Amino acid sequence: MQAMQAWVAHRIGFWPIITLLVFLTLIALLLMPVVNIIGMSLSSKDPNSSVIANYVEFFSRRFYYQTLINSVQVSVAATFFAVLFGVPAAYFATRYEIFGRSFVRAAVVLTFVSPPFIGSYSWVVLFGRSGIVTQTLADIGINLPSIYGAPGIVLVFTLQFFPFVFLMVSSGLKSIDQSVEDAARNLGSSELRTFFTVLLPLLIPSISAGALLVFVAAFTDIGTPIIIGERFRVLPVLVFGEFVNEFGGRPILASTLAVLLLTVTTSALLLQRWYAARHAYGTSAIRPLLVMEQTPLKRILASVYVLLLVGLALLPVINIVISSFLKANGPLLIAEFTMENYERVWRTIGTPLSNTLYYTTVATAMCAVVGTAVGYIIVRRPGRLGGWLDGVVMFSYAVPGIVLAVGLVVTYNEPPLILTGTSAILILAFFIRRLPFSVRSSVSMLQQLSRDTEDASINLGAGPGRTFLRITVPLLSMAILSGVLLTWSNTIRELSATLILQSGNTVTLSIEIFNEVVNGNFGIASALGTVLILLTFLPLVILFAFLGKKEEALV
Amino acid sequence: MASTSVHIESVTKQFGDFTAVNKVDISIAKGEFFTLLGSSGCGKTTLLRIVAGFMQQSSGRILFGDKPIDNVPAHKRNTGMVFQNYAIFPHLTVVDNIAYGLRARGLPSAQVDERVRKMLAMMRLEHLGHRRPRELSGGQQQRVVLARAIVIEPDVLLMDEPLSNLDTEMRIHLRSEIRTLQRQIGVTTIYVTHDQEEALMMSDRVAVMSAGHVEQIGSPADIFYRPRTRFVASFIGESNFMPAEAVADGVYAVPGGGRFNVPAARAAELGRKAEIAFRSHDITVGAPVAGGWTATVVDAQFYGATTRLVLDLGDGKTVQAASTGHAGSVPPPVGTRVGLALPPDAFWIFPEKR
Ligand SMILES: Nc1ncnc2c1ncn2[C@@H]1O[C@H](COP(=O)(O)OP(=O)(O)OP(=O)(O)O)[C@@H](O)[C@H]1O
Ligand SMILES: [Mg+2]
Repeated sequence: MQAMQAWVAHRIGFWPIITLLVFLTLIALLLMPVVNIIGMSLSSKDPNSSVIANYVEFFSRRFYYQTLINSVQVSVAATFFAVLFGVPAAYFATRYEIFGRSFVRAAVVLTFVSPPFIGSYSWVVLFGRSGIVTQTLADIGINLPSIYGAPGIVLVFTLQFFPFVFLMVSSGLKSIDQSVEDAARNLGSSELRTFFTVLLPLLIPSISAGALLVFVAAFTDIGTPIIIGERFRVLPVLVFGEFVNEFGGRPILASTLAVLLLTVTTSALLLQRWYAARHAYGTSAIRPLLVMEQTPLKRILASVYVLLLVGLALLPVINIVISSFLKANGPLLIAEFTMENYERVWRTIGTPLSNTLYYTTVATAMCAVVGTAVGYIIVRRPGRLGGWLDGVVMFSYAVPGIVLAVGLVVTYNEPPLILTGTSAILILAFFIRRLPFSVRSSVSMLQQLSRDTEDASINLGAGPGRTFLRITVPLLSMAILSGVLLTWSNTIRELSATLILQSGNTVTLSIEIFNEVVNGNFGIASALGTVLILLTFLPLVILFAFLGKKEEALV
Repeated sequence: MASTSVHIESVTKQFGDFTAVNKVDISIAKGEFFTLLGSSGCGKTTLLRIVAGFMQQSSGRILFGDKPIDNVPAHKRNTGMVFQNYAIFPHLTVVDNIAYGLRARGLPSAQVDERVRKMLAMMRLEHLGHRRPRELSGGQQQRVVLARAIVIEPDVLLMDEPLSNLDTEMRIHLRSEIRTLQRQIGVTTIYVTHDQEEALMMSDRVAVMSAGHVEQIGSPADIFYRPRTRFVASFIGESNFMPAEAVADGVYAVPGGGRFNVPAARAAELGRKAEIAFRSHDITVGAPVAGGWTATVVDAQFYGATTRLVLDLGDGKTVQAASTGHAGSVPPPVGTRVGLALPPDAFWIFPEKR
């Protein structure tokens, strides 16, 4: 009898119930939407057509399939350039005593967190047909190549997303032990040779992880191609087009496109995992790579390279902040200081700002609570369900915001549960989008926390609940707080999913900026953009300055 | 103190196909200092964690006194555990660490304070009460977790290699301290270590474990002087092993011409071929005696307090002899023929090694 009781108490505890709830949430918000778009993409209004009719249509009409080719082209190109420029920059910034080191760190973070679509418009303002730089140079007889179309998109993506590679490689370099490099040098290998034969191979997991992030971000971005792409059409924009179609969207087509997007991102993720696993040597540094003594020439050259790169990437952000204080005449800016933009923004910012803060805060809180619990289940209670949970969370990495948005719309646009157009659908989308990141950070912090500490508490007579609250949570509180700040910064500037999910009442700051940009009101867009950049950057300042986190935490 | 005896009855633990603990039977008396000794991976920690309730055994049962505890959850077992890597609560002060278990038991705070204060005094930690763990040395942290485990007046104190993360000097100091403390409060203690010196000097009794099972249980003198298996003989102390062959009733010969007398019953049990073992420091080296046990000095290694001679018995078989020297003593030069002698009961005989 006593044994029976103990058995029951053991089985139906606090954690199994939490596990079940989390599972149901993930099924409702992630798996069902994905399954539904797949189902929808295989359906048709015409009962006689084959199940793959939509795909046949896609691949037989150039108007459609060209967008896939275009998307792959610009994303691959952007990934290539981001790696090409990002890896050396990370190497120099980590290993050389470059000038302006703190500026470089701040600039990388700022670039990283500035909303990409404002960046693209900034480039148009500077280098577009009637751009400031273009005009100035044209006056003295220099004609710049066009910024519109594929080259512009690749340029913006490269500069916007190279921080992924930079940050990944920086943290990768920190996990290599100095003795490995010393050994190579001792055996007569030059610095360059050592870099290519020793460091680069060890960095493959980091580089490929960074490259994957660049690729996926570029492949699923809507804002930049709309603003700078002109007639160069990419797949995500086509999805978006199908949703805001004036004659009513075509959810079947949109679903088909979304499945294609998902297929590409999932394949990219699997490819990267496979490739990185083959090149993972599980290095950990007892004495990480040191800053090298350099000849002044090398030091200057390296500094110039890094500063030029981050300076260029930061240019749009600087442009936005400056422009926000300039008088605007539609898309044209006049070199005259004014607070007019902010005054106008002040009158209209109310709803979008409060929406943004509300959605971001709720989604962030949900991520913190659910993410910590899921992480705990995966690390500390790995049963059959825990393994599944791990798998589902892994998969959700590969689901782009835009695909999730399409899935949520097709799942929750009819009874019994209609969520389309509500605040809830935006909050839930933000929550699910960031959940894998929260889980990942709570998993890694729990793995660092020795299980013995919790066992010691149990051993001293505290039950599982008391132990979780008194020992686990306090020990993780700093990590949870940094997770919250990161989630906040990443959620507040979300555009792709929001574009599809928002309705008139649920407009957010990023949507507002996007609309102003599309309507050519760059002055207002800049003022709003500056506000958004501040809201994104402030939590990160807290994170880096007070919580002692490094920029690498961003990726 | 409500200390209790512990009975581990035929406990087995499987991880899949792998048997980490194999039918272990141990009875520990109330107040006894009992040590599990064995090399890495032999299942010591697993057995200890089963006693603490962090793992459930696959079969067998455990009793505290006459009470089976297999269905008592870990936090109700009232065992105080000291972990190898301290497992100190890094966010709590020394006082709060020590008070943790008392508060979990819902003791009134006046009583908590009183007991913590006494504990601090006993462990000579008074001046550190309000420090955070990261402001303590390794030895101090270890004293805190020891205090934390003792203050709850556990039925059984469990220690898993508590000293292995400390430097030698601290280790030697703390092991006597722990031993004294344990005698003073009389708590039944199960101590895990792979350090035989620690096991021998601290314990009332020792269980030598290998590959999940118990090889021998006995007092430190027992397992040192009377190892019952070849494993124990080789694991404890510095032993030499030689093949032996029966040359007459109850007489075995080893390389180099040594003769060993073995009781008839034992000889009958072993058969013609066997193996003889002895401690390096039990052998005496002198002038060769005609017809006696002889060897050639191959190497003389000077270690300060002792000198070790490597001796060739012929047939490529070497043994070591350790002797304590004194100022002016000179070891025999390499190549010298020497005679060997052992006290009559300073050897053990085991079945032939296969
Ligand atoms: N959770 C587990 N799952 C599978 N195998 C395990 C598990 N825990 C322990 N083992 C295995 O059981 C064996 C005994 O492990 P245990 O930790 O008890 O060894 P130990 O004697 O404490 O060793 P050490 O001195 O290295 O601490 C080892 O081979 C180990 O790999
Ligand atoms: Mg162990």
